[in-house]
Amino acid sequence: MSYTVSFERMNELIQSLQSNYKIFAPVRFEKRGRYSDTDMVRYANISCVEEIVHDEKSDFSPKEVVFPVTQAILYFTESEFMESRVHDKKILIFLRSCDIHGIRRLDNMFLRNGNVADFYYKRLREKVKFVLMECHDGWDTCFCVSMGSNETSDYSMAVRFHDDSLEIDVKDEEFEPMFGKEAQSDFTPEFVKQNAITVKIPDIRDKDTLHEVYNLPLWQSYNSRCQSCGACNAVCITCSCFTTTDVVYSENGRMGERRRVWASCQHEDFTAMAGGHRFRTTPGERLRFRALHKVYDYRQRFKTEQMCVGCGRCDDRCPEFISFSAMINRLSEEVDKLNEVKSK
Amino acid sequence: MNHDIDIKEIRKNCFRQSKVKGEFMLQMRVPGGIVAAKHLSMVQHIAETWGNGTFHIGTRQTFSLPGIKYESIDAVNAYIKDYIREIEVDTCGVDMDVNDAGYPTIGARNIVACIGNSHCIKANIDTTALARKLESIIFPSHYHIKISIAGCPNDCAKAHFTDFGIIGVTKTEYDYDRCIGCGKCVEACAHHATRVLSMEQAKVVKDECCCVGCGECVLACPTGAWSRVPTKFYRVMIGGRTGKKSPRMGKMFLNFVTEDVIIGIMKNWEKFSAEVLEHKPVYLHGGHLIDRAGYHKFKEMILDGVTLNPEAMVAQRIFWAETEYRSNINVLPVATK
Ligand code: SF4
Ligand code: SF4
Ligand code: SF4
Repeated sequence: MSYTVSFERMNELIQSLQSNYKIFAPVRFEKRGRYSDTDMVRYANISCVEEIVHDEKSDFSPKEVVFPVTQAILYFTESEFMESRVHDKKILIFLRSCDIHGIRRLDNMFLRNGNVADFYYKRLREKVKFVLMECHDGWDTCFCVSMGSNETSDYSMAVRFHDDSLEIDVKDEEFEPMFGKEAQSDFTPEFVKQNAITVKIPDIRDKDTLHEVYNLPLWQSYNSRCQSCGACNAVCITCSCFTTTDVVYSENGRMGERRRVWASCQHEDFTAMAGGHRFRTTPGERLRFRALHKVYDYRQRFKTEQMCVGCGRCDDRCPEFISFSAMINRLSEEVDKLNEVKSK
Repeated sequence: MNHDIDIKEIRKNCFRQSKVKGEFMLQMRVPGGIVAAKHLSMVQHIAETWGNGTFHIGTRQTFSLPGIKYESIDAVNAYIKDYIREIEVDTCGVDMDVNDAGYPTIGARNIVACIGNSHCIKANIDTTALARKLESIIFPSHYHIKISIAGCPNDCAKAHFTDFGIIGVTKTEYDYDRCIGCGKCVEACAHHATRVLSMEQAKVVKDECCCVGCGECVLACPTGAWSRVPTKFYRVMIGGRTGKKSPRMGKMFLNFVTEDVIIGIMKNWEKFSAEVLEHKPVYLHGGHLIDRAGYHKFKEMILDGVTLNPEAMVAQRIFWAETEYRSNINVLPVATK
């Protein structure tokens, strides 16, 4: 059923929801952007609709709701340890179609990659329900259509924002009773059908081609451009790497916390081994790794779609104006050339 | 043509004497070094009608138009009336009469500024907005003062070499939970600034004492763990100067003060100058005025009635470092004034 709800009324509903839910949405942090007098839009707890930034793409993805930047795993003393706890509320996230697909990718990475499901991810993820935010035209860096993540039916509710009201499509029975008294509407979310950019996934057909791809000069062209800052990883909805560290509270080093924090494959020490050996020493090699992981490796492993959902946040956030979508298209062109030579 | 011209009067009107007898260079104010590009057609018209066809981008960011004949000054002054009104009165809110007589004084010099945060990725402040606000405080005063405004401690505007150098600094905030311990900020601080960041237990610690407020950590951080607080802060350098006798780099007078403090001290400048110069607005660098009054007297007068924000730092004393082209240049016979 769909309804038209004023902001005022919606805020009452949000308030009552808050007794069972923590509600996350993109929120504006004024003047907290990378550059002076720019804002930062990222996911945070909300308590009214007006806080939701619905007409801009958020700088950071909603992944931090289910995969926090820093997460305590356990606390230890000399001979005992205690598992960390999470809040006992359920979670509602306002997010876009690409991000819903993105969280599904994270599900694969954390829950279906190997034999064990990641406990710390699972305990948060199980609480989550999605509120889809409808996109109008998308933004100039989006390529969700090429990545097939522009549409979804995987949501509990979907919303379209107007000036002081919203239309809401309620699919989840749990929420249906809340809206009983609201004016019905015929709203169903519409989806972006075309982006300004089209991205072609490289057609790497065999191991041989893959090895040739490793050595393409295209990667080296990034050596002088990429500063290995890792911003592209941080904003990516599908980047799921982390490092686990022990932090000690006490002087004798026997009390402390084991925690995990996000890690970035673009950082120089990502592949550092004991003894100092590193597998990927140049920015170009690291970008190659990232690119292939996003559009090739993951797909090989899960036999599904590619990892990247085309949200374009990495393009938006890169301080060196490196465009990931342009990189993938360059790669595809090169792969096409290799395939052509082979077919002759 | 033979001339009998009071050069000082003409200079007050912002026309500077040329080596060519009877010719002058008009210096037009461009507060903060930025105006709408349409004004270039005015510059072109003046240069081609009354000047020698060229214009110089003045070292203090003025439109400088050389080769204007003494006889043309009235016509030029009448022509620049609209520009003066638009820039000084409408844009900067200067309280002045605009008429056919051109600029009323050359005293307070054009305020120099780098492009600031309207464009620059490193800037911490809107230098243009500040320049325009300060213009309405210092102009039209006959007392000489030079102000330069830099968007960040890199100081492209050379705030270190002027009477009052204002530098945009930022107070940064660290979000412990957002930090991934990558050390990029630590590297950036060591590379660009004062090496006040270090890693401890996979997070960052900061030695607050020596942070220069540049914001490089904010720029470097991939997760937004470092951010600038929304309030804008400024550093004030004083007494810097160029010159033949004893050029010197300015010294830090205030650090991490808010805009209200800047406005407050600039409002006190004219009174301070007048008192030191016994109410005769002669041309003397601000640094010399501070020297004459002594730093403590200067500090007392310039901070008179100004409420310092809690974060503010004030120099307790200043030790100048002049470039002495002749040793003991300040040691003179008693009779010398
Ligand atoms: S690789 Fe870029 S476009 Fe693709 S999901 Fe990650 S951030 Fe979005
Ligand atoms: S591609 Fe851009 S965002 Fe990613 S590490 Fe390189 S410079 Fe940083
Ligand atoms: S750059 Fe950011 S994430 Fe990296 S150590 Fe510094 S604060 Fe932490």
